Amino acid sequence: MYLHELLTPPLTLCNLDGGSKKRVLETASKIIAEHTEGLAAEDIFSGLIGRERLGSTGIGSGIAIPHCRLDNASQAIGMLIKLVEPIDFDAIDNQPVDLLCLLLVPSEASDEHLQTLAMLAELFSRQDVLSALRDTSTDQQLYDTALRLAEA
Amino acid sequence: MTSLFLLVGALMLMLSILLSPLSNRVGMPVLLLFLGVGMLAGEDGIGHIQFDDFETAFLVGNLALAVILLDGGMRTRGETFRVGLRPALLLATIGVLVTALITGLAAMLIFDLPLIDALLAGTIVSSTDAAAVFALLQGRGLNLNARVGATLEIESGSNDPMAIFLTLVLIELITLGEAASLWSAPLMLIQQFGIGVLCGWLGGRLLVFLINRVDLVTALYPLLVTASGLVIFAGTNALGGSGFLAIYLAGVLLGNHRVRMMPAILQVHDGLAWLAQLCLFLILGLLVDPSELLVIAPAGLLLAAVLILLARPMATFGTLWPFRFNLRETSFIAWTGLRGAVPIVLALFPVMAGIEQAPLLFNIAFVIVLVSLVIQGTSLAPVARLLKLEVPGHEEAHRRIPIDVPAVGEHELLLFRLQGERWTRPAPLGGLRLPPDSGIAAVFRDGSYLPPLAETCLQDGDLIAVVGRPDQIDTLGHQFNAPHGPKHLAEMAFFGEFVLNGEALLSDVEQAYGIRIGEEDKQQTLSACIARHQHGHPVVGDSLMLGPVTLVVKEIEGDSVTRVGLKLH
Repeated sequence: MYLHELLTPPLTLCNLDGGSKKRVLETASKIIAEHTEGLAAEDIFSGLIGRERLGSTGIGSGIAIPHCRLDNASQAIGMLIKLVEPIDFDAIDNQPVDLLCLLLVPSEASDEHLQTLAMLAELFSRQDVLSALRDTSTDQQLYDTALRLAEA
Repeated sequence: MTSLFLLVGALMLMLSILLSPLSNRVGMPVLLLFLGVGMLAGEDGIGHIQFDDFETAFLVGNLALAVILLDGGMRTRGETFRVGLRPALLLATIGVLVTALITGLAAMLIFDLPLIDALLAGTIVSSTDAAAVFALLQGRGLNLNARVGATLEIESGSNDPMAIFLTLVLIELITLGEAASLWSAPLMLIQQFGIGVLCGWLGGRLLVFLINRVDLVTALYPLLVTASGLVIFAGTNALGGSGFLAIYLAGVLLGNHRVRMMPAILQVHDGLAWLAQLCLFLILGLLVDPSELLVIAPAGLLLAAVLILLARPMATFGTLWPFRFNLRETSFIAWTGLRGAVPIVLALFPVMAGIEQAPLLFNIAFVIVLVSLVIQGTSLAPVARLLKLEVPGHEEAHRRIPIDVPAVGEHELLLFRLQGERWTRPAPLGGLRLPPDSGIAAVFRDGSYLPPLAETCLQDGDLIAVVGRPDQIDTLGHQFNAPHGPKHLAEMAFFGEFVLNGEALLSDVEQAYGIRIGEEDKQQTLSACIARHQHGHPVVGDSLMLGPVTLVVKEIEGDSVTRVGLKLH
């Protein structure tokens, strides 16, 4: 699955106020629920938090990829967030996180989603990608930059 | 005469040092190059130097091996004993015996020697060489899975006593011509090991105590270690123990205790170990007559083949099976039976004892060492890669500066150079999260000092000084060093995309990723599951396939796994 199939402009947010790890996941869950039919914010939040308990999804260099499976999801949903201020995320390199790429997938067809997740992890481990995303200042710019980089 | 001798010796040293970068380029062990320079300078080479002083060679050989073992011991990490000690000890005792027997019997057939002389030939080449193994394993680019690395390292540091002991027993049998001394052999073995271990342990403890108590000029600490190490070595020998074992053990104790000025000690000993190897191999190269080697070359090659392809694998597989190493691990250990200076030095024992077959034994040993260095030495890294035994290395500091005041404890000044894409965007110091018990002391930019305030911005090209403990270097390095493209990618390719806690339950992982994990007990932790698959002693890099994903051990504390990499494909 490609990034342009996952990401939509309403779910690409530049300069979101993070607060804390819990807060930002809560905010993101709410926004996703608002834009997606059939998904409740609480379900998304508890799914994401449950995954974080197994080990932080902060993969280092200030980026986190929170993800989980959801019974009610009909398709894979992505969300890209750039925070105003970096927050603590228990990332593997202990560094604060200012970029988040969320992935919610339906419960079935897990093999394909493992591949999608791997693709995202690879994309966001590239320093040039992270620098370019950090240089954006509007939602649209963040969205365009992400899609352009994903194709490169 | 003396000045000429000095000039030639120094020239050989200089030439070898200048040629050493070549060895990396052609993938040849540097020891072989030193040996080659020695042979070139020798009587059949272009130097035409007549050197037949076996006594000097014997002295230099012992001294050099002692220094190399001391250095190797100091670099052997205590935690590696957890996985490596028991297999290494079996290899170092029974393994050596098996190797010696099989090679000896083959030598009897190939060279038509009397049984006892043939066994002596087998014994001389039976132990792996610390100098060669340390040179290849410690900090020269090849980063092996700890189980394999530790076993090889500890084996090479501790198997010389067995080989020396067997050599001495056989020489006694030959010179006395009777079996009278046979019954005392086990006693002698116990004595060699017992006194060696005791003296090494006591000496090491005393040395740690001594270094931390006396006040010296900085430059003298490393030399104090060298001198004391040699005292332990020679003293143990004088008491009838194995000096090699003792000095190795003292080195291990030293390297794993808090010792003041340790970085300086290690740095100087790195140089000393190089010097020892240089001298050792140069002098051994000088000693041999290449023309005599040619005569026995075909038979010697055959014996080398038996040793490498039959004796060593049988010894390895025969002794390691109780530890359930996997096939790749055992195969690699079997292949890494590197012979180096030890067999050649051991071959000097019969010469000194005046045994009739001594020159032949010396030449046999020499041929086998040459073959081993060429074939095994050059193929080690590719074979490790082929068998997938390499793990990503640790991060290093650009420079480590010991503070050496008791009040600061283990803290050192660690310098890191900020380079690469990560630092092109200035990052305020306040945004960094350093490990607890560490902190930034200074930032340097173009030669000027910037105070480490929260608002000070770090940027590409800065040099930062961090106060931290040696065990934090890896974490700090991950934070500050450039994620140099290939290595960083290699780390992700190796450990996978995500990291899980060792305490996470298998059932939860199954649930989170919608994967079916076979027969496992779902209510156990990842750590327990992996430990069970590795028979209790997991190491970094161990992996476990669970359905479509792979778990890779990333971090370990003792025998429990704290962090597990999750590889999605």
